[in-house]
Parts: sequence; structure tokens; C-alpha cells
Amino acid sequence: MKFLNFYASAFALALFSAEIFASNFNPEIGVILDGAYKQGETALSGAEEGFSLGHTELTLSSPIDDLFYGRFTAVLESHDGNTEVGLEEAYLQTTGLPSNLSIRAGRFLSQVGYLNGRHTHSDAFSERPAVYRALLGSHYFDDGVQMNMLMPTPFYWRAGLEVLNGTQLSGSNHDETAGVYTLSTKFGDDIGTSQSWQAGFSYLYNRLTDIDISEEHEEDHGHESGHDGHNHSANYMGKNLYIADVVWKWSPNGNAREEQVALSAEYLYADKLNRFAASNDYHKGWYVSAVQRLSSVWSVGARYGRADLKDAHGDHFHDQQIEESNLSLSWSHSHFSTVRLMYTHQTTDGFSASGNAMTLQYVVSLGAHGAHDF
Amino acid sequence: MIFKSLIIFTLLQSVTLPVWAEINVFACEPEWKALAEILGGNNINAFSATTALQDPHHIEARPSLIAKMRNADMVICTGAELEIGWLPLLLRKAANARIQASQPGYFMAAEHVDKLEVHKNIDRSMGDVHASGNPHVHLDPYRLLKIVEKLKNRLVNIDPANADAYQHKFEQFIVDWKRNVTQWESKAVKLKGKKAIVYHRNWSYLTDWLNIDVIADLEPKPGLPPTSSHLVRLLSVVKQSKPDFILIAAYQDAKGAQWLSNKTGIPIVTLPFTIGGSANAETIKSLYDVTINQLLANIK
Repeated sequence: MKFLNFYASAFALALFSAEIFASNFNPEIGVILDGAYKQGETALSGAEEGFSLGHTELTLSSPIDDLFYGRFTAVLESHDGNTEVGLEEAYLQTTGLPSNLSIRAGRFLSQVGYLNGRHTHSDAFSERPAVYRALLGSHYFDDGVQMNMLMPTPFYWRAGLEVLNGTQLSGSNHDETAGVYTLSTKFGDDIGTSQSWQAGFSYLYNRLTDIDISEEHEEDHGHESGHDGHNHSANYMGKNLYIADVVWKWSPNGNAREEQVALSAEYLYADKLNRFAASNDYHKGWYVSAVQRLSSVWSVGARYGRADLKDAHGDHFHDQQIEESNLSLSWSHSHFSTVRLMYTHQTTDGFSASGNAMTLQYVVSLGAHGAHDF
Repeated sequence: MIFKSLIIFTLLQSVTLPVWAEINVFACEPEWKALAEILGGNNINAFSATTALQDPHHIEARPSLIAKMRNADMVICTGAELEIGWLPLLLRKAANARIQASQPGYFMAAEHVDKLEVHKNIDRSMGDVHASGNPHVHLDPYRLLKIVEKLKNRLVNIDPANADAYQHKFEQFIVDWKRNVTQWESKAVKLKGKKAIVYHRNWSYLTDWLNIDVIADLEPKPGLPPTSSHLVRLLSVVKQSKPDFILIAAYQDAKGAQWLSNKTGIPIVTLPFTIGGSANAETIKSLYDVTINQLLANIK
């Protein structure tokens, strides 16, 4: 029966492909404009005070043929009057491998944790939590290969492996062909029609902490490694990074358009920071976030998080700590435009900047706007 | 080590598949699940990703939906960009070779019929309009019949062993359906020329079939929620052309319609829109029955 199906499918492919691909010759083109006005200075922040442009993204995506899907995202960022062009995504992904296997190759966002694999423009807050900014450089993308498999279970269960270059995490060139490996798994399901959940565990192995680039890295940035939004690399690294994440969402009858409550939390722990690190030298941090959509127009969010970090100084470490609370209010005129007001309150130890900030941000999307992950 | 365990899982998966299996159908909306069940009977096992109380434009690519799509032999959706915010992502995440866009297991209902409200030139200032035309095709019984025929052909293609069964069920369906359409049309003669205000253009095929005139939308632009300034503007439209009812779907927010109804006395008719949208709309036939009866009950 299954074999019969297979041959029937192969035969029918020739019949159906012509009508289906007729409209798909042009890639979907989408642009994200993201700008903000920020009052107040905060530690470990990528956003400058005053007017600034955030991630201006240009995305092209399309099925390549019946086996591959491709996506390209260029990011323009403005820092200190200079505009930099970065490539955040340039990958192809298989769509039709047997056994629900999928392989992605090129440059892409690592799938560790909950937030990391998501595009920043879909966040409910103007900035990622402090622990993400410290340990993953806000969002970690790199060159490499990703392989995922769905398990044959009635609930969602994905297991995945990534082999990555590591350059984007360490911020330095190195001779290793593969500097970072990740293993991750995610589970998820619905509870009735109103509730959905997802939980995940990730492990990131960073070989580059063994290679002596950390000192050189530090000289580049000086003592105040914490106040550096210019570089995308993580300011704090460990050989092992463990992440646990959980998300729960509720909406009446599962109709998320008008009303939804989304709770999420992540815990990150990194150890073996470098060759001088003792067993009690580690980074750790977490956040919890609650976002409520009040209508299709308004949503409010609250987030609290902290990070306990070790700042490397040659053969020893300085303790650093950051506690951050955010309140956000978002107004979306349509599905394609959002204006957000966010209040940030920080208490820090070992950083020069600290205090309160207000951010007024807009995020709009022009052209094709891809679907967001759960 | 990891490769080894992946290989083991692959083997496990192929072993645990039963030799004879039903056709697993992942339907995006309840109407397609119901039609697949009518044609497939015991040969298929259908699941609907959405209910009548959910807005099919705004569904999240939830983990449970990926899991359901993982082992589907077929996806049946409306298409014409209705599910553009979630279906492409689900298809990629489920990584199921049988249902990708180039495969016979990928069936988009609206691709098989002519669509209303096809726009030659559009931009987003017109709202969230669908370039390839209005996708909400399932409330026109003639288009629905055409889709059922195409769906039958596709099922035969995917599962040729049961071709006769699909053909037989289809022929039964045609006879019943044509008789029903005649009855609905004779009942609905009284609805001809009635005027409606709609929340969203998801009634166009129904109103086109029953010759009901749509005089205004509660949405200022397609996809944008009703605003107070737009509702105030509608007051004068109501005064001029005296509509008979305000049509909203079970999943749509009733606030704007209620405000307008309170101000003007025009009745709100909350229609099921699809199967499950009201307690007595349990099948595709009763969906049409309930819809027409509710409209008739609200005219003078």
C-alpha cells in the first residue's frame, strides 16, 4: 500500500507541478524597518541613546525546487554614524527528505533556547533579556549545518544537531573548521483547544574557549566589555552552555487574534569559562516573561530577568550582576505595523551603566511577511 | 553516535508503520475535514487544524499542529493565501515529503474554482487583501461541488486501491447535494435583494449565490478591526440604504456590530461560517441549512 502510494505520488508529481509552481517564480521579498528613540543608558544594551535604527532587514525567501527552500536576510545597522551591512541568514533547507528529517546549510540562527531561533522583530520587547545579550550576543547566528528530526510520537518532539563555525559567537577568526556544536530537543502539545505549551533543552559546546582567543578579544574591548552593542559576538562565553526553556500560551477557544496570554521562561548556565576558570566560576541567568494581547490592536508585556556573570581579566574573574525589569505596551494598527513603548529598570553590580530607560520603538513590515514560530 | 541513533530512529519509524493504513488527512478548516470524511468514509482519518471559533487568518504554527502534519498523507486547505501566516511554516517544520507543494498530497481548494474580488493591482494600504482573490469559497454550493469532484480525483490518485469507493461516495454526494441546492434556492428566494453589512468579506460567495447585496464592511480595510470613526461613518450608510442585517461569523468579535445594531436597530445575524460554529451546524448540509434559516428568520 505504502509502496503503491509512493509510485502513484511520483507519477502524479509530473502532473501537478506545472500548475502549482506557476505563481512561484519570484521570491517573496520582505523588509523590516525598526527604529527607536531611547532615553537613558542601560548596561549590556545594543540600543543607543536618542534616535537610532535597530535591525533593518531585507529578506528574500522562496522554494528553490521541490526539495529545497531558501532564505536570505541582510541586516543593516547603524552605529556611531556608520552603516554596516551584515548577513544574518543565507541558507537552504530541505523540505522533502524521508522520515521527517530536515537539513539546513549555510548561515542561520542557531535553534538553541526559545528566543534565539526567532527573529528579533517578532519579540514583544525592544531588546532581548540581559542573559541573552551577555551569553548569546542577543541572537546567535553562524555558518554551518543543522539537522533536525521529528520523532514518531503523537505529540511534538524534535531532536536536532548543529555544527557551526563559531566565529559569530567568539567574534574572532580562528583556524578551527567547527568551533561550536549544539544539541537540542523540543516537546510540545495542546491542552484542550485553549492552551498550548512547548518545552526545550539545549546544549551548546564551544570549543573556542580552549583556543586562546579570549585575551585578545578582551584587549579589543577593554575593561568595560559590558557596554558594547557594536559587536554581535557574545561578551561572555563558556565551554558548555545549557539552556532550558518553556512556553505556555492561552487564548479563548484557541482564537489568538483578539486575546492571548503568553508566558515564557528560560534558564541559561555556562561553565568552563576559560583555562583559568575554577569550578565555581560560571555564568548563569534567567528570565520570565508574560505578554497579554488585549485586543487585535493592544498588547502589554512584563519581563523580569537577571544574569550573574564573570568578567575575565587575565587569570582571574570579576563578578558582575545585572537585574532587569521591562514593561512594554504595544499598539498594532494592522498585522504589519507596531509601535511599542518600553520601560526598563536595571540594578547592576560591576557595570558602569545602570538605571532606568524609556524606549519608543516602531517595527513595520513591508512586502512579504513570513509566519512566526510558536 | 548521533548518526547512529538517527539511523535507529529511522528504522524504528519504518517498522512501526502498519502495512495497511488509512489515509491521514490534515485539513486546515472544518469544512474540508467534513468533505474528506464524506468521500473517504473509513478509508481516511481526518483532523482539522482549526475550529469554527478560530479566525483562520490568524493561527499560530503550534507544536501540536506540526505533530499532526508529521504523518499526514494529505493536507487539504483553502489556499489563496488564507493560511499564509501559518501553513508554509508548518509544512517546513513538519518536513513531510508527501504533502509539500509539489506533491499530490497538497490540495488547495480555492485553486480549483474561479474566485471573486480578484485584484489586479494591490498594495497594503488597501488592507490585508488576498491578491489571488477572495479565498472564502466554501459557502457557494456550486463551487463546493467542483472542489469535491477535484478532491475525489486527488484521493483516487493518492489511494488508487480504493478508487471505486471514492467514486461511489462522490456519486452519492452529487445526488444529495443537487437536491439540497434546489431546496435551499427555493427557500432563499425571499432573501433576494436583501441588504447586508458584513464584518469581513468572508460572506461574498454566500451573498453572491443568494443575491444579497453587501453595502458595507465593519472593517475599515480588510483585516483591520472596526474603528469607532469607521462605525460612525457607517451610521449614515445605514440611514441611506437601510440594510436588513449585519452578518458576522462565530469567530469574529461582536463589539463593533453590537454598537451599530444598538444605534440603528438592524439585527446582528451571527452565522456559524463553518461546521461547529453553532450547535446545530454539524455537517456541511446542516451548515447550509442553519445559515439560510437564520437569514430567513431575520428578515421582515
